[in-house]
Amino acid sequence: LSRGLLGTAAPLAADLVLLLEIAMGVGLLVGAWLARTRRFRQHAWCQSVIVVFNLVLIALAMIPTFRIQVLPRIPQKLGKAYVALATAHAALGSVTELAGLYILLAAGTRLLPEKIRITQYKPWMRSVLVLWWLVLLLGFATYVRWYVPHLFR
Amino acid sequence: LAGTGDEEWHRHWVCLKAGSAGRNRFESGRNGGQHHENSNVSKNKQLKEKEEIMRRSVSIATFFAVAILGISALTAPPKNLAAATQEKTEAAEVKIDNFSFGPAELTVPAGTTVTWTNRDDIPHTVVSTDKVFKSKVLDTDEKFSFKFEKAGTYPYFCSIHPKMTGKVIVQ
Repeated sequence: LSRGLLGTAAPLAADLVLLLEIAMGVGLLVGAWLARTRRFRQHAWCQSVIVVFNLVLIALAMIPTFRIQVLPRIPQKLGKAYVALATAHAALGSVTELAGLYILLAAGTRLLPEKIRITQYKPWMRSVLVLWWLVLLLGFATYVRWYVPHLFR
Repeated sequence: LAGTGDEEWHRHWVCLKAGSAGRNRFESGRNGGQHHENSNVSKNKQLKEKEEIMRRSVSIATFFAVAILGISALTAPPKNLAAATQEKTEAAEVKIDNFSFGPAELTVPAGTTVTWTNRDDIPHTVVSTDKVFKSKVLDTDEKFSFKFEKAGTYPYFCSIHPKMTGKVIVQ
């Protein structure tokens, strides 16, 4: 395992995931701005790429780490910050990613049956954007708890 | 001395040891006419004296042997105690705290068992760079031990936090 590039105790993979997640969070804000400026095609592309890429990151980096380092400690160590934060991040992140994929399928394709398609896009998209950033903050907190040494000890 | 062989030599030696009475008896027996009559009695006495001397010699030898053994036992460190002391030194501990191994470099004699204890509030692992040993993920207060049989340098790290490194030097 190679050392990270942020100067913390994290491995390179964790640092890369954090940087990519922050970039994706900013990317979603840019995508929202594109919608406000009525560039809907670019908006659709921007948000779709981010949601799908995030799914890849979750599958390749987050789930394996979670399975090894966190899952064996649930529920016994849920009282510990490092387990609680990671669990909350994983739970809320899963919901957010699923909601993002749902919007993607409902708004961008005709794969879903009409009954479960959404018509009011804006509230859904705004809610997912808020959730996304909440999950990002939880992810950052998880990173700090897992990889940043205590300053005062 | 009249005669040769063991009997005569013993007789002489017993007389010398027994003192003047014995000497007189020996001389009178040698010179007087009652030599043959008293020879059996004299022989018995001599044998008894000989036995007494032997007994004394054995007692003295035993006393000295016991004394020597006792002194050596008191001066030399007992084997069991030495072994226990050695066992004591054959264990070393490394503490994991605030994202570091302490001591980061540990020098131990071959045969030492090193125990890592996670005192941090974050899980850590202990993984040999050369894949000699590997712990499971250690939660707070969990331990991992490994016995170093061969001399050499064993660098290790935490697989969750690769910046955390340590080294065990086995002499």
